[in-house]
Amino acid sequence: MKHLFVSLLAALAVGIAASAVSAPAAVKYPHRIISLSPTATEDLFAIGAGKQVIAVDNQSDYPKSAPKTSLSGFTPNVEAVVAYHPDLVVISYSPKGFAGALAKAHVRVLLQPFAVTFKDAYAQMLQLGKVTGHLKEATALVARMKARIAKLVAAVPRKALTVYDELSPDYYSATGASIIGEIFKLFGLENIADAAPGAGSSGAVQLSAEYIVSESPDLIVLADTRCCGTSRATVSARPGWNTISAVKKGAIAVIDDSIASRWGPRLVNFVNAVASALRTTQK
Amino acid sequence: MAKAAELPLTDAARADARRLRVHGSSWLWVGGGVAFALAALLTGIVVGPAPIGIGAIVESAASNIPFLGLHSHLSASDSAIVWQLRLPRVVLGLLVGAMLSCAGATYQGVFRNPLVDPYLLGVAAGAGLGATLMIAYAPGQAFNGDLLPLAAFAGGCGAVVITYAIGRSSRGTATLVLAGVTVTAFLTAIQTFVQQQHTDTLQAVYSWILGSLDTAGWHDVLLLLPYAGVSAVVLLLHRRVLDVMTLGDEEATALGLNVGRIRVLLVAAATLGTAGAVAVSGLIGFLGIIVPHFVRLVAGSSYRIVLPLSILVGGGFLAFTDVLARTILSPAELPIGVVTAFFGAPFFAVVLRTARGVGP
Amino acid sequence: MTALALRSLSVRLDGSLILDSVDGCVEAGEWVTVIGPNGAGKSTLLRAVAGLVPRLGAVEIAGHTELGRRELARRVALVPQSPALPPAMTVAEYVLLGRTPHLGYFAREGLHDLEIADAALARLDLVELAGRRLGTLSGGEQQRAVLARALAQQAPILLLDEPTNALDVGRGQQALELVDALRREAGLTVLAAMHDLTLAGQYADRLLLLDRGRVVAAGGADDVLTDELIRRHYGASVRVLHDEDGRLVVVPTRRS
Repeated sequence: MKHLFVSLLAALAVGIAASAVSAPAAVKYPHRIISLSPTATEDLFAIGAGKQVIAVDNQSDYPKSAPKTSLSGFTPNVEAVVAYHPDLVVISYSPKGFAGALAKAHVRVLLQPFAVTFKDAYAQMLQLGKVTGHLKEATALVARMKARIAKLVAAVPRKALTVYDELSPDYYSATGASIIGEIFKLFGLENIADAAPGAGSSGAVQLSAEYIVSESPDLIVLADTRCCGTSRATVSARPGWNTISAVKKGAIAVIDDSIASRWGPRLVNFVNAVASALRTTQK
Repeated sequence: MAKAAELPLTDAARADARRLRVHGSSWLWVGGGVAFALAALLTGIVVGPAPIGIGAIVESAASNIPFLGLHSHLSASDSAIVWQLRLPRVVLGLLVGAMLSCAGATYQGVFRNPLVDPYLLGVAAGAGLGATLMIAYAPGQAFNGDLLPLAAFAGGCGAVVITYAIGRSSRGTATLVLAGVTVTAFLTAIQTFVQQQHTDTLQAVYSWILGSLDTAGWHDVLLLLPYAGVSAVVLLLHRRVLDVMTLGDEEATALGLNVGRIRVLLVAAATLGTAGAVAVSGLIGFLGIIVPHFVRLVAGSSYRIVLPLSILVGGGFLAFTDVLARTILSPAELPIGVVTAFFGAPFFAVVLRTARGVGP
Repeated sequence: MTALALRSLSVRLDGSLILDSVDGCVEAGEWVTVIGPNGAGKSTLLRAVAGLVPRLGAVEIAGHTELGRRELARRVALVPQSPALPPAMTVAEYVLLGRTPHLGYFAREGLHDLEIADAALARLDLVELAGRRLGTLSGGEQQRAVLARALAQQAPILLLDEPTNALDVGRGQQALELVDALRREAGLTVLAAMHDLTLAGQYADRLLLLDRGRVVAAGGADDVLTDELIRRHYGASVRVLHDEDGRLVVVPTRRS
């Protein structure tokens, strides 16, 4: 009898030990991702993680196939987000401790704030690749973007031209301390907003009409066409603007607002638009 | 028999009567005010990020006078800057500053309270809501064309009409002021809600609220001119009446005035001008309070001098403030509401400390 | 000639009846003082005559019952109990305000108006103080300024609401003497509301005793100022005496 008891104990011990070791841990990537950042949405779909995304915020309008909901990335509601039972939430903005609240609800949060340089933007794409199990695609995307941009820049002969980038019709302009500013530097363009005090630290400053007219930039980039009805026609009609070099030559680039305000894969489109506008000035 | 009470009128009395022309020295103040406004005008034309010399500007101006044979040597760009950007901006600053100060002085007289400003009855909240709705739901039209000023104007006037409907009472002004507070709170709440629903409009609305003259052109000047003109004329004609109103509703009625009707008329005229000013330049604060007080401190408290001097000093002050707003951080702009508040707040603190001595 | 007549004058405010069918009349050049305990309606009576409260019944001024606001202001000048004296306003500006009922809505004062105001200042001995601000004046000087303003109004009827309340015995007497002198010079009709029974008796031609909105006695000082009436309506214990010269004095007697 004693032998039977010991054997049963031993069998039990082996069984427990075996189940403790169990199968090798399968790495589970998140497959119920919520994106509350339009840029992260674009990034996720561009690196092939779109199928793992169950909901995106109300501003994420690209790509069109993204599952847009009424969730707000700007005034987020913790309960509404948690109700989806996500296993990863990507945000670019954490008002009033939103990230902390999500953490308390045991939801994994990834904060990818507004990128000020290309390096930061690429880093975010790679981070998303790593987290969602698409690191290979992310690396390839970054490489593609870099190559494409380099090609676009090389195709335009460098000339020392001045540029004015308009973010809103009351003359808010992007400065060198932003990705847009970096793009201009790639082309060797001088941004007239950089002369403003505070342009070194702030991504945008408000200029005066008089300054813009007197600087007479060679290229104007409009990033406020969708929100505010600005167009080549309205800009040319502003008092005194018909004396500006860019207006006279028609070197006005129109960038969709959402492209100009995000730091995702469509940055390439931005570079392309600037390049083709520059080609107009060459004529 | 309505025989008027006879008073013995001596010759000495007749000769001395001219002494009572209370405003002999007031012409001096008016002259000073005119000089101040002119100085603001000239400074505004000459100063700016683009370096354009005074001589060149004068020459450019003079070239418009026939038979002088003078030609402007300014480039097309500089000429556009001076005549299409700087000058209308300065003129608009003068108009808006004049209008807000005049309306503020009037409100202080109508409500017999030195601490009211022209936004008391809801003009600011109404205009802000109108502008926000326009920016949120019709952004294409909002920034080009006149729909934004129109929406702000309609909102501002509408708010005051609602305030009056709620708060008019035969027993003085307290109810009216409370109604203004209520309407302001309500409309501001709606505006905030709309902004939250359309977060992409936030920056545009915020910068509108801070007030600015930097997108001004002759178009805006012409837009404001009729309203400001009518408003100023009506208010100036009521200077004597405003002085009588300082005695309070009862005594003014005993002196033969229809106080309720006068109040409506004055509020309507002041609102017209204020809504117009806000519509083209956003919400510029403090001007409506500090300028009339400053004028009272230096020139006396009769509305016969306070109104015209407020117009001159207020216009000049805003034009000068605008020069600061566009040169301190040049070529970047400071919102003008920031500059007026920055200088207005400490000044107002001083006024509060001395306000016991001087009433409206 | 009756300058002012009250016929069944009633005033209801906030639901309660403040004046109940008051009848009375004041002849041209006469001084009638309304007396009565607190809450009797004295001030309300004056304000009703000045058209400041809605009323039932008739107020007849020189035969006219329905007068417009301005017309009324040309005939009736009210000196209120607590006049609004804007502290920053000068005496001259303040007195000039009295000309308001005679000026067109947008009109400025003419030379004639200035002369009248100037004469009022002179009559009230305010010429040296003309440029001073009201806030810097003493109580007595302020009272004179208010009287000057009423005078500048050139209204034949003067309504005085508690004219001596804020003044000491000397200033109070001076004010009343002044009003009496003006009355005789300019033929003013005076209707006053007063607290002080002795002063009321000494200056008025006739008295009206008001209690809870009703006229309970009317007549000369000897008829109205009696121990009995005062005890009944004021609830006060007094003795009405006459001094050697026959002047009437009301003396409160302390119940011991």
